[in-house]
Amino acid sequence: MQETIIEINQLTKQFRNADRPSLDAIDLTILNGEKFGVFGPNGAGKTTLISILCSILEPTSGDVVYTLNGKQESINNILTTVGFVPQEYAFYPELTPIQNLSYFGALYSIPKKELSQKIKQLLITLGLDHVGDKKVSTFSGGMKRRINLAIGLINNPRILFLDEPTVGVDVQSKVAIISLLEELNKNGTTIIYTSHHLKEAEDFCDRIALLENGKIIALDKLENLILANNVSNLEDLLIKLTGKKLRD
Amino acid sequence: MRKLLASIKKEALILLHDKVGLLLMYLMPILLVFIITIVQNSAFKLVSDNTIDILVVNHDKGTLGDSLTKLLEQSGNFIVEKENGLKIEKLKKETIDRKKLIAIYIPEGFSDQLLSKAGHVSNLMLSEFGVADKKANKAKNLSKNHLVIYYDPVIQENFRVSLTNSLNTLLAGLENENMIRQLFSDMGYEEIPSEVKKEFSGNQSQILSFPASSGKESPIPNSTQHNVPAWSLFAMFFMVISLGGNLVKERLSGSFIRLQTIPSAFFLVICSKIAVYLFVALSQLAILFSLGVFVFPSIGLPQLNFPPNFLPVIVVSVLSAFAAISYALLVGTYAKTQEQANGFGAISIIIFAAIGGIWVPSFIMPGYLQTIGMLSPLHWCIDGFYTLFLKNGAWSELYSTIIYLLLFTFICQLLTFIKLRLQNYI
Repeated sequence: MQETIIEINQLTKQFRNADRPSLDAIDLTILNGEKFGVFGPNGAGKTTLISILCSILEPTSGDVVYTLNGKQESINNILTTVGFVPQEYAFYPELTPIQNLSYFGALYSIPKKELSQKIKQLLITLGLDHVGDKKVSTFSGGMKRRINLAIGLINNPRILFLDEPTVGVDVQSKVAIISLLEELNKNGTTIIYTSHHLKEAEDFCDRIALLENGKIIALDKLENLILANNVSNLEDLLIKLTGKKLRD
Repeated sequence: MRKLLASIKKEALILLHDKVGLLLMYLMPILLVFIITIVQNSAFKLVSDNTIDILVVNHDKGTLGDSLTKLLEQSGNFIVEKENGLKIEKLKKETIDRKKLIAIYIPEGFSDQLLSKAGHVSNLMLSEFGVADKKANKAKNLSKNHLVIYYDPVIQENFRVSLTNSLNTLLAGLENENMIRQLFSDMGYEEIPSEVKKEFSGNQSQILSFPASSGKESPIPNSTQHNVPAWSLFAMFFMVISLGGNLVKERLSGSFIRLQTIPSAFFLVICSKIAVYLFVALSQLAILFSLGVFVFPSIGLPQLNFPPNFLPVIVVSVLSAFAAISYALLVGTYAKTQEQANGFGAISIIIFAAIGGIWVPSFIMPGYLQTIGMLSPLHWCIDGFYTLFLKNGAWSELYSTIIYLLLFTFICQLLTFIKLRLQNYI
């Protein structure tokens, strides 16, 4: 049986001047080595949830407990073992991939020799080794998305948060990214993932949570949810449970 | 330490990538210091060294109009163009048409009035001495016999006053000479005795002027001593555009979100920005001061003279740099967009410079503005540099500068820290 790696208890986030909480007393458990998907319409609270789990935001109430190597920790104690790939390009476009990776690697205190090897390996794996010393600002969207992912992986994270990692990329880049994530997961990395590419998510996630108005309205393996709701895929499930009304 | 070095390297690489920012921080101050110093030096020379084209229209029927014209020519300050046929009504227009900075109209009764005045004063003096009877008539005072000056409206007030003073000096000399001549004539002399004449014309009292100084040596104030420190500081504080904008850009970028997931990363970002921009600020000063010392003399500008004690210059430079950096960080932290940071930052520095005495000395401002000017960090920076570069001041004279700059830096850093802490950035 898989052990719990993240335990979320009554997590609530109320932004100032907002008429309802972005997250409303969420309880959730994520298992070690899991590929966990968080889905929902715009404004459901997906990004807020991931931001709190990564310590970018403070919750209004509730708590999050991380269990690593059998020891319970708060997020601030395990930040160096967490990787985050935001939806935005989170790097310095004026610098080269090697300079970006070296900088973020140094912030994680990765030894120089190890960092150099890790950079080389990531660039080869993501097909960026031939442009390692070119400025990122000159890259295509797909290449930027790959360097965005590479930086999130520089510290060999035990827990990896991905917010729309494949948005706006071509099929080749998407395949490269997903296969790398699969490989990481096989090696023990727990992945928490959001995406609007529902077909991609269907194939990738072990379990999913559907969020609507800051609350979890469905949580299980995708096949169980499809059976229980009598739909054929994730997209139909989302429409059935959250409706067709357009969201802000 | 490795994290900090990596952050510094990252900041330096980004700065090197920003060619426009580098130009703003290095080339613009050089141009600014060069141009302002050349312009002010030229203005100074115009008043003190250069000769000024002057148009003289002499309608005087006596000899004193010619004497005045001769004095103008002999003074060496004026190149005189005579046009005696011109009527006063046309002189106003002719001054502009002939591109003269100044024109003088000597009226028909100029000699008559001067001689009348000399005769009256001479008679008063002799009657006071008891050697002549007091005559009843007074000196003629006809307004139509006054000298009239037309000046190009482009010339500034202080320059015009300076020209008028030069003319007044010549006129006073002419009046005095005639008064003495009249005095001797009334006493029966045909001419002023040659010994008196010689003493009178050649033994004018001299004024020796020296700059006040706290130290033993007194540097000679000139356009370079004033402008190089002043405009170097102005340029240094203008880093608010580069650093403030850079901080906002980083805060609004995706990389900032990632930095928030790395322990103490943003604190390192701030420290590395301080380190890199401290180098930028001090290198700006070093370059501009070097230009003042080594390049200015070769293009005819006065040389920048360094005070004999170098350490206080370094201390004031470093404190000024910290004040500039801290202010830029404050603006970059509170601005919501890069446009806000750039616009507010630039305008606030211009205001700080204006009230701080960078453009014109504080002492000529109204009292309330001088009080407000004390809030400007630039006021204290320039006060420190002037104490060193113009007065050879001692450490004790720098205490208020040092205390204020430390206080300003501390307040800016504290407000920056509070804002970043409230936003959970550090």
